[in-house]
Amino acid sequence: MDVIRINGMIKDYNLGKVKVRALCGVDLIIRQGEFVAIMGPSGSGKSTLMHIIGCLDRPSEGSYFLDEQLVSELPKSELSQIRNKKIGFVFQSFNLLPHLNIQKNVELPLMYAGMPMRRRKQKATEILDSVGLLDRLKHKPSELSGGQRQRVAIARAIVNDPSILLADEPTGNLDSQAGGDILEIFERLHKAGNTVIMVTHDAAVAKRADRVIHIMDGQITNGNLAG
Amino acid sequence: MAISLGESLHIGFADIWTRKVRSIVTIIGIILGVMSIMVVLAIVNGMNKSTMDWMQARGGLNKIEVERNWQYDFSKGGKAEFTLKEIDYIKSKIPEAVAINPKVSEFGLELARGEQTFQAQVQGVVPDMTVVDEWDVGKGRFIKDMDVRQFNDVVVLGSRVASTLFGSRNPLGQQVLLKGQISAGGPGGASGMQTLKTQTLTVIGVMQEKKMKAQGGQSAFGDNPLEYMNRRAFIPLSTMIWKVNPALAITSLELRAKDPTSAVALRKKTENIVLNLKHGKRLFQIVSAQEQMQQMKQSSMIFTAIFILIAVISLLVGGIVIMNIMLASIKERTREIGVRLAIGARRRDIFLQFLVQTVMITGLGGVFGIALGFSILNMVGKYLDIQVAASLQMIWVALLVSVGVGLIFGIMPAVRASNLDPVIALREE
Repeated sequence: MDVIRINGMIKDYNLGKVKVRALCGVDLIIRQGEFVAIMGPSGSGKSTLMHIIGCLDRPSEGSYFLDEQLVSELPKSELSQIRNKKIGFVFQSFNLLPHLNIQKNVELPLMYAGMPMRRRKQKATEILDSVGLLDRLKHKPSELSGGQRQRVAIARAIVNDPSILLADEPTGNLDSQAGGDILEIFERLHKAGNTVIMVTHDAAVAKRADRVIHIMDGQITNGNLAG
Repeated sequence: MAISLGESLHIGFADIWTRKVRSIVTIIGIILGVMSIMVVLAIVNGMNKSTMDWMQARGGLNKIEVERNWQYDFSKGGKAEFTLKEIDYIKSKIPEAVAINPKVSEFGLELARGEQTFQAQVQGVVPDMTVVDEWDVGKGRFIKDMDVRQFNDVVVLGSRVASTLFGSRNPLGQQVLLKGQISAGGPGGASGMQTLKTQTLTVIGVMQEKKMKAQGGQSAFGDNPLEYMNRRAFIPLSTMIWKVNPALAITSLELRAKDPTSAVALRKKTENIVLNLKHGKRLFQIVSAQEQMQQMKQSSMIFTAIFILIAVISLLVGGIVIMNIMLASIKERTREIGVRLAIGARRRDIFLQFLVQTVMITGLGGVFGIALGFSILNMVGKYLDIQVAASLQMIWVALLVSVGVGLIFGIMPAVRASNLDPVIALREE
């Protein structure tokens, strides 16, 4: 099954008088359960592609099916629910809320999904246990190391059982030891059947993926599936 | 599925708690605004209440008084006096009046018992006085119809008169002497003074003491502004006119209406009757306590309005300050908003989060303001010795106002927060 199917996607940005085309006709298919790395130099359009895949932004033209649902036509108000249920974000800079403890951070997607407090506390605890942070539940993000913070972010990304896990340079702010640990978690999640999409410019990191998609000047140059 | 209001309250409380100092600084304006509303309302209420007490003590809102019109130019002729026949006529025209008390006062007299004397205001009255003034005897009995009919030499003393003349002894059945100077009437009101032939009167009763707490603690009569009533003595109207001073005439009339509402109509009716009786000359002025009360309320309303206006302005300023701080806070928390949007918060959730937070802050300000208001009222009441009346209703008003300020000034920042683009918000450092 195709988790992601993108056809003829174009994204234009209006920067005042100048119109910049960030994506010029992208076709992309990602299958259920794949571990895909997206690589490209800065300015290549990979961030734009990731934002659209993550339903944070909408394409100017073209269609985007996520789980067989045409999300490129959805109004912005419904995209937040798609993000909540189908996408788990992991950011380079972790993006945890600093004044909440890590349990509460992990609970957030469940709260916005409308889950009652007791059940989501329980679920957040289980997920944090699975990434080895059971003894840190009440700690604030600032009391944790970078690797630990990223593990919290991964826990938050997967707590709502999303269709895709979308990671943007997840090891970019980590030393190689911690980065390796994080990649291992991604591999574990992938083996458990999750679809993982990772944006990176580190070839060594990209090597861990099943497939590497290269993007350059708003177009996919290599690594796409045929058809 | 949007998050619930309870969830927003929870987030709001956590946010306020995390930023305690900022929250407190933010709400100072609201605290002061709510506090001043509380204090002003309580002081105005207190003033109205003590005015009311004063009115009540003087016979309540049912009372109507017919008195010499000091604005009238008496050189045009006419005298502000009633004959007994005229009184009977007026009585027959206003059967709806519950009680009527024609009154004659003499100021230059003194009551004596042995060496002890007391300069009292002596009034000639009828039994109806106790009804009109809602003031009864504390001891003995009041003047009865029989006393008026038989010109009895009896007197009912004010409490101060009794205590001065008799101390702690029982004055009932005792005799006092009435002596002094009386005004010699005569045609045209030409007056001189002449010495009264001393009268012996038997004390039949002592009035209840009239007492009221003075506003501001000071008054011409010390701490009891009603003390002048305790310095009166009452004798039958007939005795006053026929035995004490034949030159005296009835110069004032007190009526009691069934209730405050009908008092206004009765006042107008009586005014017409008196005007007719005196051939269109405005020798008397006729006022009802009800209308006086309304006038006083009206003038205090202007005062109230000005203070409320000042309080409202301070609340507006407080609201604008809060709006600015919330806008700054949202700018600072742009990234957080971006993260929340990315993991599934809807615009409505973000809007609610910030609106609820603003309302909680102002609501909290309201609560502090009410508390501060009460402690200030306590101090004001104690040190200035004026009556303040705080009511439960005022607490509701204060709370409602503070929450309302939060709603009004919270909308703009909340809209701005919820309109953030997640991509741009996440890029914010």
